[in-house]
Amino acid sequence: MKNILFVLCTIFVLSSCEKVLLKPNMGSKDPLKNFDYLWEEVDKKYSYFELKNIDWNQVKETYRSQLNSNSSEEELFNVLANMLNELRDDHTNLISPFNISQYNIMLTSPANYYQRTIDEYYLPQPWITGPFNNGFLDNNQIGYIRYGSFLSSFTDEQLDLILNRFKDTKGLILDLRANGGGNIFNVPKLLGRFTDSTILAGYTITRNGPDHNSFSDREDFKITPYDGVRYSKKIIVLIDRGSYSATTFFSLLTKAFPNITLMGDTTGGGGGLPNGGQLPNGWTYRFSISQLLDLNGNNYAEDGVAPEIFESFNWSDLTKDEILDRAILELQ
Amino acid sequence: MTISSKHFYCLLAITTATLWFVSVQAQSTSDTQHYRLFSMGGNRPGYRDFATSPLFYNGTGISLSTTWLKRSNERERSIDLSLRPGWVSAQIPESDFRQPSSSAFFLQMSFRYQQLRKLKSVSNEKQNIKIGGTFISTQNFRPNPNLQNNSLGLENLTNLMVSGQIIRDVSRTKERTLNLFICKPKLKPVKRDLRFQLNAGLLNFNYRPGYAYSRAGEINGVKTNPLSWQLSNYNWSMNGWRFITELEWITYQPNGNARSWAYVWDAAHAPGKFEAFQVANHNIRFTYYFNSKKR
Repeated sequence: MKNILFVLCTIFVLSSCEKVLLKPNMGSKDPLKNFDYLWEEVDKKYSYFELKNIDWNQVKETYRSQLNSNSSEEELFNVLANMLNELRDDHTNLISPFNISQYNIMLTSPANYYQRTIDEYYLPQPWITGPFNNGFLDNNQIGYIRYGSFLSSFTDEQLDLILNRFKDTKGLILDLRANGGGNIFNVPKLLGRFTDSTILAGYTITRNGPDHNSFSDREDFKITPYDGVRYSKKIIVLIDRGSYSATTFFSLLTKAFPNITLMGDTTGGGGGLPNGGQLPNGWTYRFSISQLLDLNGNNYAEDGVAPEIFESFNWSDLTKDEILDRAILELQ
Repeated sequence: MTISSKHFYCLLAITTATLWFVSVQAQSTSDTQHYRLFSMGGNRPGYRDFATSPLFYNGTGISLSTTWLKRSNERERSIDLSLRPGWVSAQIPESDFRQPSSSAFFLQMSFRYQQLRKLKSVSNEKQNIKIGGTFISTQNFRPNPNLQNNSLGLENLTNLMVSGQIIRDVSRTKERTLNLFICKPKLKPVKRDLRFQLNAGLLNFNYRPGYAYSRAGEINGVKTNPLSWQLSNYNWSMNGWRFITELEWITYQPNGNARSWAYVWDAAHAPGKFEAFQVANHNIRFTYYFNSKKR
């Protein structure tokens, strides 16, 4: 009995130890604590304060006064969402069980892509190879590939098949309009098909200190040639304000490719890699923590990568895609 | 204190070499028992990673381990491999409107090497006290999709610990009759030990993410390894603490094997270079000792 009592007492003491050793639980639904937590996280890690000329202290003054310890969860959500939208960044979201905030940069410019027009008047029977809709245009002289999201993975075999089909074409159109981005590793995988040698195409820097302009050294973004089927003729990449995040990365990196021309409208931006985290009340968030630079060290990706050839979609005539028509013209 | 990978591996090599040197000095004595241990049990893990959330994640899981143990009256040496998979969820305050939830998988993989020697001055026939050192390296893997691009939590805790162990002989030496009113079972003599061990971290290393947790590291085309890319801003630091305690009730069998029930508490605080990681495990486990060199 003495031994059993010793065992039970020891277990009780040990299991209580961590309450003494570890800091107390910091979970809280207090609106002001949650506001302060999010404000400080953004202050410590967000990457575009300087570039966008954002006075984050002023933002705190404006929004904190709209809350008190009795504010409802809906009120808290609205205030936090409005505060985050001051960053003017679509990589910034607040995620609660009842709503998700977003800046929605696509709505700041007219849309330039209407899939029905292409399906009905240009490629009624496209091949659907993995995530790529593809087919021939202009009497089989031009290849067309539609890639709707960098979230969609693809295999080497799928791209081999498509590029082999297009090997006798004069040029290729890669349609990335309204492609909201996705997996950054799909960017070098796709671009590697369009070069015969390794290309240093851009740089990235990441926030690494409490000062708003503290960043790590530049990291290279290189594109290596795919060891197999490649396409080295002229390529036109179609972009618009709906081309975001990984598509902005793709667009900026093409500036180092002599055989690739951007056409359409400026991309939506999203040159920062977003992070992720959680508030004391359990809601989650994300915002950008890095920057993408071009080969000259210029930082414009967050505001969007401009095309070499501007063209816009005319919504009064849905039988034509003016941007696609212009691309065909350029490749003829 | 933040240390470079080169210094960390250098320290690791010196530690390993020292333990190996000590271990080869330890010759088997006539009372040395060689065991293979297989353990399984229930685990209650809990952690908090301040880099991504101020909330504790608690849950349940299992523990599986295998150990090579060489134990004599004078010395003890063991090598242990263990896995602790489990599911955890965030301890979120009660909502007035819509309750958020957040769950994660939590896998801990550990390698442990331990060497103990008897403290003769304080040991006696009933009580064997040993002290020594433990090297333990634990790799955590905790995917949590709610944390977006920071969804993959990885850290390594590597510790050189000072260890103390008391084994108390609690054998039943005489046959005893239990009076349960409706029956009176006879309990035969049996050899039993009550073992308590405390390990306290002396050199505590942790491998944790950089300032912003994620980082846009170098991309070298399709040759980029996503895992290396993810770990490119991780740093080794030497700070924090770790304690592991074990309380074990061992019952020996006439054939030289044994079985035991144990309660293990393993807690660590790893401040890293920027934001801390804290973890605690409460583990109840059953172990079967196979005596692999019966005398």
